[in-house]
Amino acid sequence: MTSRAERWALAPVALLLLDAEVRVLDANHEFLRMIEVPDVEAVAGRRLADLLTVGGRIYWETHVSPLLHIEGRVDEVAVELRTPHGREPVLLTATEREVRGERLVEVAMLSARERSRFEQELVGARRAAEDAERRVRLLHGIAADLASVAGLDGVVWVLLRTAVTLLGAGDAALWTAQESGPLRRWGGAEALAAPTIDELTEPAVREDGTVVVPLRTAGALLGVLALAPRRAAGADPLDLGTAAAAGQLAALALARATTHEQSVSVASELQGAMLSDGIVDDPAVEISARYRPGVHDLQVGGDWYDTFRVAPDVVALSVGDVVGRGLKAATSMGQLRTAVRAASDTGLPPEEVLGRLDRFVDRTGTGFMASLVYAELDLGRGALRYTCAGHLPPLLVPADGDSHYLWEARSTPLGVRGTTPRVADTVALAPGDLLLLFTDGVVERRDRPLGLALDELAEIVTNALEAGLDGEDLLAAVVARAPQDDDACLLAVRWLGPRTTDGPAPAVEPTAGSAGGPSADEERPG
Amino acid sequence: MEVRERNNVRTMGPEDGPTMVFAHGFGGDQSMWRYVAPVFATDHRVVLFDHSGCGASHPTAYDPDRHADLSGYVADVVEIVEAVADDPVTLVGHSVSAMIALLAAAERPDLFDRLVLVGPSPRYIDDDGYHGGFTAAEIDELLETMDANYLGWTQAMAPVIVGNPDRPALGDELAEVFRRNDPAVARKFARVTFLGDNRADLVRVRTPCLVVQSRVDVIAPLEVGHFVHEHLPDSDLVVIDSVGHCPNLSHPALLVAAMRDWLGGDRW
Repeated sequence: MTSRAERWALAPVALLLLDAEVRVLDANHEFLRMIEVPDVEAVAGRRLADLLTVGGRIYWETHVSPLLHIEGRVDEVAVELRTPHGREPVLLTATEREVRGERLVEVAMLSARERSRFEQELVGARRAAEDAERRVRLLHGIAADLASVAGLDGVVWVLLRTAVTLLGAGDAALWTAQESGPLRRWGGAEALAAPTIDELTEPAVREDGTVVVPLRTAGALLGVLALAPRRAAGADPLDLGTAAAAGQLAALALARATTHEQSVSVASELQGAMLSDGIVDDPAVEISARYRPGVHDLQVGGDWYDTFRVAPDVVALSVGDVVGRGLKAATSMGQLRTAVRAASDTGLPPEEVLGRLDRFVDRTGTGFMASLVYAELDLGRGALRYTCAGHLPPLLVPADGDSHYLWEARSTPLGVRGTTPRVADTVALAPGDLLLLFTDGVVERRDRPLGLALDELAEIVTNALEAGLDGEDLLAAVVARAPQDDDACLLAVRWLGPRTTDGPAPAVEPTAGSAGGPSADEERPG
Repeated sequence: MEVRERNNVRTMGPEDGPTMVFAHGFGGDQSMWRYVAPVFATDHRVVLFDHSGCGASHPTAYDPDRHADLSGYVADVVEIVEAVADDPVTLVGHSVSAMIALLAAAERPDLFDRLVLVGPSPRYIDDDGYHGGFTAAEIDELLETMDANYLGWTQAMAPVIVGNPDRPALGDELAEVFRRNDPAVARKFARVTFLGDNRADLVRVRTPCLVVQSRVDVIAPLEVGHFVHEHLPDSDLVVIDSVGHCPNLSHPALLVAAMRDWLGGDRW
């Protein structure tokens, strides 16, 4: 039978006896075998920390040793021994006891090669899962932010901001490709150097940790994003893979922004061209118009104004609004505006013009739900026949009296079969009377009843007139008070009185749909 | 949140005594001072706390941005001192908290009248003509070792609090404390601790300092202690006959004696 000392020496676990300064006093065979030394003399007097890898040494000093002092024992700590052939992962348990006033530490170690490999796989898998989850969450955040903007400026702003807030960059710069000439730079400190030729091809990490990602779709270079790492010692290095994935989102957003801006510019040019010929020139009347696009998302709306002659001395006025925004709304607007010209005819009452437009909408699908005010002004007598299809009423500002809205002759928007028939009404204008047709973007609704909003508009107009403004200046003053986010379209018509060279003016018949009220002729003889 | 709750601030000793604040180092919590703080509590108002992300600090105390470098920990300490004392205090910092103490005193000299620095190191990684004790690759290895203990982390650190007689039994709350002390936070704290470089800050500190250096310390070697002493405008260096980075646990009597000697000395 072997002695207890022999059994200690031959035990199938690595055993160490250390002194108070954690130096080796004794070691058993298993320990010597593990670190591949022939006998105890080879390690006697050496500190345990020196037999561990550096990581293990720091861990021992900062975690294990304090625990030993406080608890008198530590269990299952994973460290690595240094051996001639590399590292030997072990699980270490240690206890501390006092023998005759002397502090002794006893250590047992089990090889953890297999367990270590398994744990590393577990840790690796867990970290990969955490990284993947973090990356997906982060890319979702960037995608959501990018989805909230449309134009190039917005996309650039979101990219520079999310580079810092989500990707963890200390600084970021973006270069975007232009139709001609060099890349255009946005943001970033000067220390962030422009990309090199090589960096235009593949994502790369510079020596200082800066990550550079070319932004490409379908092979075309749209820009380059550069992310500088944060300087703080504890900051994580930037992740090339995440940056590259974010770069793909960025490239798509840039492509979309470019397409969007082209579409915006086509639409606004188209709209401008379509509205350019809409003012009748006649000494009996002063006509001015103003169209101001909304700043909401850079897209043009479907508002229009138009004036044209239906007879030598009858001028037709139309102001309307097609549902929607952008290129499609602009083209629909153009078609409908032309359809109004085609539908009107000498002697055809306004309500029948609307009937023709309804059929146009039915057949083509264009302009469904569009709203419209259509009026014909007899330049010789000042008689105004008007009708509103789902549109806000015109504002009449008499030369000598209080302004009021023309609330008669109302029916549904185009293409909508309501219970009310298409109707028209007639009012007689006096020389100097001003008529204002407008779209709903001119009226500041906020969350209040329409009546109050219209009262305010009337007051704005009255005040501007009293301040001596007229024509274009008057409309500019009114538009300046309109909400900025929506399109605003205004047409002002002032009848100056009959032309002296006129022949007999055609009679004005009250229309069938007139809701009564004094006849224009009776009240204001021409 | 109230600072005392955020950083689990505890006080002991006479209310009217001079205030002495203890800041623990990397890898532990306030119980690292269990053999030292009670000795000073006989004639000082002793203040202990847990750094954000350590011990029983509040789960929301740690902020990855605020604590991405030492400045967040410095701000924590400044707020704690402002909350607990009206007059300048003696701040005792161990390991990384020695650097935190120096940075705090450089920022706010009005809050501190003396600093005790136990095992300070302004930079752990070797540099041109500077011996910090480690290469960059070795620090990476430490981070790997910490990862290797990822699974066993909770079990390894829990007894530090369980066995602390200064604090009431935490019972079931204990497991919760450790669940929220995310190993990822400890890993970040390791990066902040071991990758920083604060050598240039030493000269900014006007507060009188005592540098306490273990005779043998693989984390903060003797020559680093000398470097700190030589670059601080007003400091004394005491080398105590201890081995290891935590003389506060392994050789508390030597540390206490060195502190008593210096604090009670007639250098003023």
